[in-house]
Amino acid sequence: MTQDLTLSIRNLTLSFTNWEGSTQVLHGIDLDIRPGERVALVGESGSGKSVTARIVLGTLQELASATIAGEVIVEGRRMQDMTPAEWRSLRGTDISMIFQDPTVALNPVYRISRQFHEVLRRSQPSIKRREAEERCVAILADVSIGDPARVLESYPFQLSGGMNQRVMIAMALINEPRLLLADEPGTALDVTVQAQTLHLMRELVERRGTSVLFISHNLGVVREFADRLYVIYKGRIVERGPTKAIFENPRHPYTRALLAAIPRLTGSGIPDIDEVSEAYHEPLVDHENIAA
Amino acid sequence: MIVSRVARRLGSTMLVLLGVSLLIFLIARVIPGDPARIALGPRATEEQVIQMREVLHLDQPVIIQYGHFLTELMQGDLGISLYTNRPVMTDIAQFLPATLELVLLAGFFMVALGLPLGVLAARYRGGWPDNLIRVITLLTVSAPAFVWAVVLLLMLSYFLPLFPIAGRIHETISIPTVTGFMVIDTLLAGHWRGFVSALHHLFLPAFALSLSGVGQAARLTRSNMIETYDSPYIEMAQSYGFPERRIARSYALKPSLIPSLTIIGLDFAALLGNAFLVENIFAWPGISRYGVGVILQKDLNAIVGTVMIISATFLIANIIVDVLVTLINPRIRYAERSR
Repeated sequence: MTQDLTLSIRNLTLSFTNWEGSTQVLHGIDLDIRPGERVALVGESGSGKSVTARIVLGTLQELASATIAGEVIVEGRRMQDMTPAEWRSLRGTDISMIFQDPTVALNPVYRISRQFHEVLRRSQPSIKRREAEERCVAILADVSIGDPARVLESYPFQLSGGMNQRVMIAMALINEPRLLLADEPGTALDVTVQAQTLHLMRELVERRGTSVLFISHNLGVVREFADRLYVIYKGRIVERGPTKAIFENPRHPYTRALLAAIPRLTGSGIPDIDEVSEAYHEPLVDHENIAA
Repeated sequence: MIVSRVARRLGSTMLVLLGVSLLIFLIARVIPGDPARIALGPRATEEQVIQMREVLHLDQPVIIQYGHFLTELMQGDLGISLYTNRPVMTDIAQFLPATLELVLLAGFFMVALGLPLGVLAARYRGGWPDNLIRVITLLTVSAPAFVWAVVLLLMLSYFLPLFPIAGRIHETISIPTVTGFMVIDTLLAGHWRGFVSALHHLFLPAFALSLSGVGQAARLTRSNMIETYDSPYIEMAQSYGFPERRIARSYALKPSLIPSLTIIGLDFAALLGNAFLVENIFAWPGISRYGVGVILQKDLNAIVGTVMIISATFLIANIIVDVLVTLINPRIRYAERSR
């Protein structure tokens, strides 16, 4: 079963230890992504969604203060069976990541072309300059950049936020990864630009059959993008199921609160939501039968 | 584009130098004491002093004196030093290279030791290399250069005679002066042993002079690197699995270098001032030592000349740093181009 999945997370726990003691951040997360599936992990800030992505990527493991237990399996390969170096070799090739703010995630002192080249070398260490350039131009055309040559010659600060976001999507997809981690992509951009780039991203991953773990705090954005949804609250999954099912029938109190938090054009100002509620700690609501 | 930037900076440098000359010219004349009397000594007659005052234009209003000074300056003449009885230009030509030699090597130490130590500390943040570097650099920063000069002299020249106590070259070696830089002159003369001896004499004073700058550069580079390491673009580089050493060397170092370079430029200028005590301790015949000598003698022409030369060196060092920062930072480069 897990062999067919692009990503499978089983009973993942994480705690941070410092001199004051330890804080448990993840309390046993289970999450599956099938090939070509777009899955969203939704929750408020501090709920543990971003650290989950960083564990899959393997970057959080490098922190001495982090204690991680449970299973992470990507394409049938168990993280626990691999050395950090082996897992690292998956980064940028089989797994890639898109960040929140494209303008600061691209290196300010290098041209876009050089950053692309570096990414391409992850999968083809001896790639020729000519070939790299051709592939960059092709993928930039894919993300609807009309003037790839100019963009490649630019520094990030010379491009708009939307342009940088497209560049980052292109960079994440150029090595044809199996799994794309998108950590609140475009949250730092304005809403219209975010919507455009998300459409673009959706089209691209659909065409390439890339599996996506989409991390967001915004259910409104997720509705457009994801096939399935996991709602996370304080390090626990509280509701999971097909996006449609959850939107039509949100059963967990926290999911309902999140839904109520989506701003509406014809609303009555800022919705009134309990900051903390006992009800948020109710057990998992499962809209599907794929038990762990 | 770099050329035009340098040209523009050189233009403003001239203005700054003019301002410095006026300021120091006035200050030198405000210091109490009659230069003519000091120069001639207590036994000189009143007529001699008056005659001397006329020679020095001291009997005229200050503004006229400044006019005289400027016209002479245009002709490359800074007047006669009362301290050495030679043209100030000759004095400077003799003493400046010795100090520049010292300061340039110290500057080299700041870059060649300070930056790598900072990078190393940031790379092993919280580990023993970091702690060791932090303790050592704190020590070097917190004691002034002359303390290090004395300590190093005692330890490495006196108790452990590894380095010469004083001077620029072994006393049995004589080298014709061409540039005034002992290291270069020995090479020009093809005197290999002399070259080694000159470097040997140069090392300890330059090292003592550079220590606090090395510490400062290392500490600053460390904190910049750590800040850069927390930035999203480093996380991005890591998430793409770029090799850690590459990330440290090109992705994190280059942006972190910008503030470090600026500080090294300023420190470099401070070296000229700090050089005075170090030059005295190592009996180094440099311009800083000369400068203090002439101030104590109230040797007006030499004071103004020395200050001007030191300011010019300071300004040139800053132009060089400015150009380097421009080369590293594309933002400045492009802002410049679109202007």
